[in-house]
Amino acid sequence: MTVHSLTASQLSVGYGDTEILHELDLAVPPGKVTVIVGANACGKSTLLRAMSRLLPPHRGHVLLDGKSIHRTPPRELARTLGLLPQSPIAPEGITVADLVSRGRHPHLSLFSRWTRKDDEAVDDALAATKTSDLAERPVDELSGGQRQRVWIAMALAQQTEILLLDEPTTFLDISHQVEVLDLLTDLNHSRGTTVVMVLHDLNLAARYADHLVAMADGRIHVSGTAENVLTEENVRRVFGLESRIIADPTSGRPIMLPISRHRMVMKQDLKESRP
Amino acid sequence: MLSPTLDRIIGSRRRRARRHVLVVAILLVFVIVIFVLTLSLGQSFTRPGDVVRVLLGENVPGASFAVGQLRLPRAVLAMLAGLSFGLGGAAFQIMLRNPLASPDIIGISWGASAAAVFAIVVLSLKGSIVSIFAVGGGMGIALLVYALSSRNGAAGTRLILVGIGVSAMLESFIAYILSQAPAWTLQEAVRWLTGSVNGAQLGQALPLLMAFAVFGALLLSRTRDLEALRLGDDTAAALGIDVARTRIMIIVTAVGMIATATAVTGPIAFVAFLSGPIAARIVGNRGSLLIPSALIGATLVLSGDYVGQFLLPSRYPVGVVTGALGAPYLMFLIVRANRTGSSL
Ligand SMILES: Nc1ncnc2c1ncn2[C@@H]1O[C@H](COP(=O)(O)OP(=O)(O)OP(=O)(O)O)[C@@H](O)[C@H]1O
Ligand SMILES: [Mg+2]
Repeated sequence: MTVHSLTASQLSVGYGDTEILHELDLAVPPGKVTVIVGANACGKSTLLRAMSRLLPPHRGHVLLDGKSIHRTPPRELARTLGLLPQSPIAPEGITVADLVSRGRHPHLSLFSRWTRKDDEAVDDALAATKTSDLAERPVDELSGGQRQRVWIAMALAQQTEILLLDEPTTFLDISHQVEVLDLLTDLNHSRGTTVVMVLHDLNLAARYADHLVAMADGRIHVSGTAENVLTEENVRRVFGLESRIIADPTSGRPIMLPISRHRMVMKQDLKESRP
Repeated sequence: MLSPTLDRIIGSRRRRARRHVLVVAILLVFVIVIFVLTLSLGQSFTRPGDVVRVLLGENVPGASFAVGQLRLPRAVLAMLAGLSFGLGGAAFQIMLRNPLASPDIIGISWGASAAAVFAIVVLSLKGSIVSIFAVGGGMGIALLVYALSSRNGAAGTRLILVGIGVSAMLESFIAYILSQAPAWTLQEAVRWLTGSVNGAQLGQALPLLMAFAVFGALLLSRTRDLEALRLGDDTAAALGIDVARTRIMIIVTAVGMIATATAVTGPIAFVAFLSGPIAARIVGNRGSLLIPSALIGATLVLSGDYVGQFLLPSRYPVGVVTGALGAPYLMFLIVRANRTGSSL
């Protein structure tokens, strides 16, 4: 498998006259899992959209293997770079298998017919997301978590070497969140797929990220290993939240514990209550 | 090796495709049957055998005039207009993911109609130059509505509201021009306000046929892209579609065929609006709605014209009949859209 490099350099992007991202630089490590975190409305979705050709840059570039993605034909780009948006729309009554098969779009052309390879890609994607049993069901009738896995299946069916996912774990209960993140990690390990995703849960982000990126106000505040990024100081700066960071006993990665105004136990009390 | 799920996936995909072809075939037969029926039923009955002989160019005493001169031009025009309205309307509804976004609701048909009336009444033009005016008018209004509603690229509800406003203005503009016309008749007014195929001549069918063939082929070549647009603009773009360019292409082709039809028959009320949703009920999710919508459009205009001519206490133009059908559905949609989001 070839490893592609995706970078944003001096990227400024916005909607109309409002600029959301300001001269942002990001190099996505090839073949690794990158997780982007940040407060609501700081521009995470905007960044993913700009990196997948959905938004034209006001200034700066997004480069895939050194070539501007805005000069790459969209269909060609979509065979290398996939994106699962934050709120995709399922047409009324569409079945799971049909929806997942839409992921094959960039591999088909006006005159090319649907082939066995396409069916196999759909089958693989359903199996990987454990949605094979749902294949014939209408997407409308699924639970939020099932639906989320089906959308991921669609992105997998696209078989791209880089996969951007905007909050792939929303609507999922904790065990399904872990399952989806494990699935994406498996994909990264077995196929070398470069994964870039936005997550809101900082602890899961720290657990799964090879490269953690913290955004604030349309800029990258800090990026690097989870240990370097998830610090009390950075949580305060990025989220305006006081916290304690401890080490996760199972993974060794940092864990963030928020400090709230209520239900605080004083340090002394904590000691006293111990048996 | 064939995994059991792969087997199932292939099986159900093939089954869906087969059913889609079957539904399209049935609709096609249905249109042909209605077409032939409207040729044989009228003030007098002509046997289908005689109808076919007239169509093949034979001179059949007692049938040639009624079928060849009266009924045939009317049926051909009705069918072509219906195909154009149905296909163009469904393309808009699918592209904007909203049944209310059809060209007759958002002012495009009215733009074509207004331009045609202006060309005929004020400039005293005739023939295919009127079609060019209509296409220009439809395109102009499409761009206007799009520009007025597309701040930050957000289409949707605002586009529909702007379109409804523009429609109302154009409708009164048409009424005003007609009222200033020296020889304005009720029949003219009805044609340009609700649509009619009265006084059809076979010569009018040629530009319509050409527009439908050219624009229809271009539009149908985008079937897959349109299907992808139903997943939302972001997903469609992620799947490799140039959303902006695809939109423009679809707008130009759909407006082209709808405006050409409008230049001949007027904006036959609600056919563009109704065809897609009816096709969606029949086809479900087995495949694209474009061709089925075109066939439903033809069915609506052919049968609507027949009902208006022969089955009502007095004669009504086809637009009045389709209008009576479409208005309640429009109200239903607006009531429903207030409660839930709506999609096609
Ligand atoms: N289509 C749009 N038109 C105009 N402004 C937009 C659009 N989409 C997003 N914005 C604005 O851009 C800013 C960044 O939005 P973005 O969706 O990138 O945030 P985010 O970091 O993904 O937030 P969240 O965590 O809530 O998903 C917000 O202020 C938002 O209001
Ligand atoms: Mg977001």
